[in-house]
Amino acid sequence: MSFADDVRKLLRENIRDYGMFIALFLIILFFTLATDGLFISPRNLVNLVNQTGYIAVLAVGMTLVIVIRHIDLSVGFLAGFLGAVAAIAMEQYGLPVIVVIPLVLFLGILAGRLTSFMVADLGIPAFVATLAGWLGYRGALQLVTRSTGTIIITNQAFNDIGNGFIPEIPYASIMPEFQKSTLIIGLIGIVIFVSSQINNRARLKRQNGEISSTGMFILKLLAGSILIGGIAWILAGDRGLSWTAVVVLIVAIFYHFMTTRTVLGRHIYAVGGNPEAAELSGISVKRITHVVFGSMGMLAALAGILFASRLQSATTTAGTLFELDAIAAAFVGGVSAAGGVGTVIGSLVGALVMASLTNGMNLMGIDISYQFIVRAIVLAGAVIFDVTTRRSIT
Amino acid sequence: MNQTSNNEFVVEMCSIKKSFGAVQALRGVDVELRHNEVLGLVGDNAAGKSTLMKVLSGAYIPDEGDILIEGKKVSFANPMDARRQGIEMVYQDYALANNLDVAGNVFMGREVVRIKLGPLGVLDYPYMEEETQNLIQRLNIKIASVRQKVERLSGGQRQAVAIARATAFDAKVIIMDEPTAALSVAAIDQVLELVQELKAQGSSIIIISHRLEDIYRVSDRMIVLRQGRKVSDTPVEGDIHEFRERVVAYMIGARDDFAEELVAE
Repeated sequence: MSFADDVRKLLRENIRDYGMFIALFLIILFFTLATDGLFISPRNLVNLVNQTGYIAVLAVGMTLVIVIRHIDLSVGFLAGFLGAVAAIAMEQYGLPVIVVIPLVLFLGILAGRLTSFMVADLGIPAFVATLAGWLGYRGALQLVTRSTGTIIITNQAFNDIGNGFIPEIPYASIMPEFQKSTLIIGLIGIVIFVSSQINNRARLKRQNGEISSTGMFILKLLAGSILIGGIAWILAGDRGLSWTAVVVLIVAIFYHFMTTRTVLGRHIYAVGGNPEAAELSGISVKRITHVVFGSMGMLAALAGILFASRLQSATTTAGTLFELDAIAAAFVGGVSAAGGVGTVIGSLVGALVMASLTNGMNLMGIDISYQFIVRAIVLAGAVIFDVTTRRSIT
Repeated sequence: MNQTSNNEFVVEMCSIKKSFGAVQALRGVDVELRHNEVLGLVGDNAAGKSTLMKVLSGAYIPDEGDILIEGKKVSFANPMDARRQGIEMVYQDYALANNLDVAGNVFMGREVVRIKLGPLGVLDYPYMEEETQNLIQRLNIKIASVRQKVERLSGGQRQAVAIARATAFDAKVIIMDEPTAALSVAAIDQVLELVQELKAQGSSIIIISHRLEDIYRVSDRMIVLRQGRKVSDTPVEGDIHEFRERVVAYMIGARDDFAEELVAE
């Protein structure tokens, strides 16, 4: 088989997996050309990542919620409300950041467990239960900010989460024009990527599974490495990796690992695929529902922290429509509304696609009304693509 | 319990009674299953076959009666209890997660971990995939790869996976609820061959089926239930037409081997 045939075969068989990455690449390429490179400038990339951060974190949690056939509409205002709680705790009660962040994350878990109590224990449809949450947290947000209006956050450490960058390695004097710590993280990323790919391939080979040709494999390794290395290079040439990017990376790595490699992840997908079968196999659907909504609540709290930190304030309307952006990101990223299907990485790329569209069109000065229409077309198109490719396989 | 019953029977169910409100679904049923025997369980709708098997698999708790596994009295609070005692049930609708691969389904709820961390235990994929591969080879099931998602398999293959899953963990008894319903003719053959293969390898099996020709083909013995009672318990023999006529006579109530017990009550 020639190399070109190999590429074609690989694309055809994995179009669903690679489709989104290709779409993201094309979007980046288009905006880079349309804005004379402004889109891919370090300053804008940092901006893009920091803008995507809180939606990306929500999209990760939402992925699992949709995988187990539920939905969570309450997370937008929950994020806004918990951001305000963090601001009040710091500004009015003078609590230190190190206490406030765990406290707010814990409150997020509690809120998620309240939702799962209604959904799993009382049997209320998640749409209704979380719509109630949407109303309730909106009210709660207005209530706590009523006397003060927007609460300005003066704590520097807190504000750095949404605006700051990782520190440079002390006394590193070589290559002064680059931030070495970011380069090193990029290098570690490449090493992890390459070694996990090689491990995976070796395992497949041992079990006589189908593997792509060596040429194709090397191409894949190169493409991935160049992508990771290139982003690290661009960021290192500016101010380095932002703390928001670090937070998103940690969330992404943890959730990717949890969903693909652990018993819990396997049980979540089993419940999504066939709840009755999962229950008969001794998996507690209730417990999984509690865990998934609890994690969603915690990630909503994290999103609230990221957003409040980025704005350096808690506003009276923080979190408005975040939940729908997160749901859209998940669906663009290949999550199926029927349950059981969808990946953390897919939803992250979905969030990045949607944020890139907004960011790129803003740079081009496109009218906001057209922006909504373009995003509508991308959302519908992504899901139509997903549904039709799935049908052609089965 | 004496030694002989310990050796002869893998399962004994003694005068099992179960009511749902005013409806007596089971009115004192006795069933024995010998080691390495295939037992067919037939009866009209609402005769109590499924209820009886749900009692045995722990889904229902009987109102009265005893269950003995290899001579030892047991009681099940839920299906997991029964499974721990070696009772495996293959459900009519396969009970598979279509989004998972074959290995994932075989080990669903019983995942093997490489690193123990409670719910965050790290799955041992190589072990589970290898074991699944051995299993489907041993049972002669034709599936391209254990990494294939179940949604891509045919009906017969899915049923085979469901059965393989039940046999994966040294089950003492495998109960199959209508294993050939909703399958094509070729797939039915595939499943029946699998049942014969399991018997050849020493399994003890109970099959519920509406299809008398399937029962005839694979069973050693057959029990007919009617209105919550056992009305026949005979070896499967004779030619198929004679067999069918006999079974139907029991099912519709024209014959009843245990009528005197009813009178005695």
